[in-house]
Amino acid sequence: MVELDHSFQNGKPEDYNWDAILDLDRLIPCVQGGRVVERTSPTEAKAEIKVKMGAMSMTFAGTVEVVERDDASHQAKLKIKSREVGGQGHANADVSFGVSNGGGTIHTAAQITGKAASMGEGVVVSVLDGLIKDFTQRLQSI
Amino acid sequence: MAIAPGHYTLGPDDATLTVRTGKGGAASKAGHNLRIEVTSWRATLDVAEDPAQTAMALTADARSLRVREGTGGMQALDDDDMRNIEQTIDDEVLEGSAIEFSSRRVERGPNGTLCVEGDLALAGTRRPVAFDLTAGDDGRLSATARIKQTDWGIKPYSALFGTLKVVDEVDVEIEGTLPG
Repeated sequence: MVELDHSFQNGKPEDYNWDAILDLDRLIPCVQGGRVVERTSPTEAKAEIKVKMGAMSMTFAGTVEVVERDDASHQAKLKIKSREVGGQGHANADVSFGVSNGGGTIHTAAQITGKAASMGEGVVVSVLDGLIKDFTQRLQSI
Repeated sequence: MAIAPGHYTLGPDDATLTVRTGKGGAASKAGHNLRIEVTSWRATLDVAEDPAQTAMALTADARSLRVREGTGGMQALDDDDMRNIEQTIDDEVLEGSAIEFSSRRVERGPNGTLCVEGDLALAGTRRPVAFDLTAGDDGRLSATARIKQTDWGIKPYSALFGTLKVVDEVDVEIEGTLPG
């Protein structure tokens, strides 16, 4: 299990950020290579992420679901379950958001298996950290 | 063996112009060391008795680079992977810019080696470069120049959020036979 903490600043009002985090159609494309495949309910979507590794790429397909939300404290947890397309690997994560005026915090607890994990935990942490930092940049214009 | 005085023209029929790249970064395990062949190029070599009168020039088509081999990755590159790399070179690295080398000074070194200094235009920047051109008794020619991409303003390719990178220094080699 890899756990990472990040924050983001986007200067937007707290209510705006709260709505944005819970809107999977807006949130998922903020992950580089991520896209919504199908909305299956107001709180769940089928999605996939394509991670470019130089010439090659890996695609993970699965679901993103809002499993917890506290409208009073503006805290939410999203559960990501995905499987490597054409492979044996999995990428699952619980992503907890805390939203405030002008930005928020992100706690990620991820479990990666298969080919991606075979590069070693240090590499997985570096790549995941890069992915989430890029995500926080994109949240500036969500 | 010293190269006999004369005017020589070389191209892909006589020699191979190869670029070798290495990989680096935390996720280098996922990448490949590449052997890339330049398939459209032309060089002239004017060898005079007086080395000061000896000159060399080369032009290459930046869109003619073809990936021939990738080693050291987690899995073998297939044809699509190789085409993707070539597309990336065209779109993001060389962008089809002119590649031109012309010598400024040539000196004779040991065993007939020619020590060549000149200017290389690459990605819109012209900078000095030096290499040794050797010729064997059987007429085989070889030369290797080490090019640091950032010196020419090229940002070495990186992926996976910077954890997989092409090493800044790449080797450019010519191997072939001097035309008779």
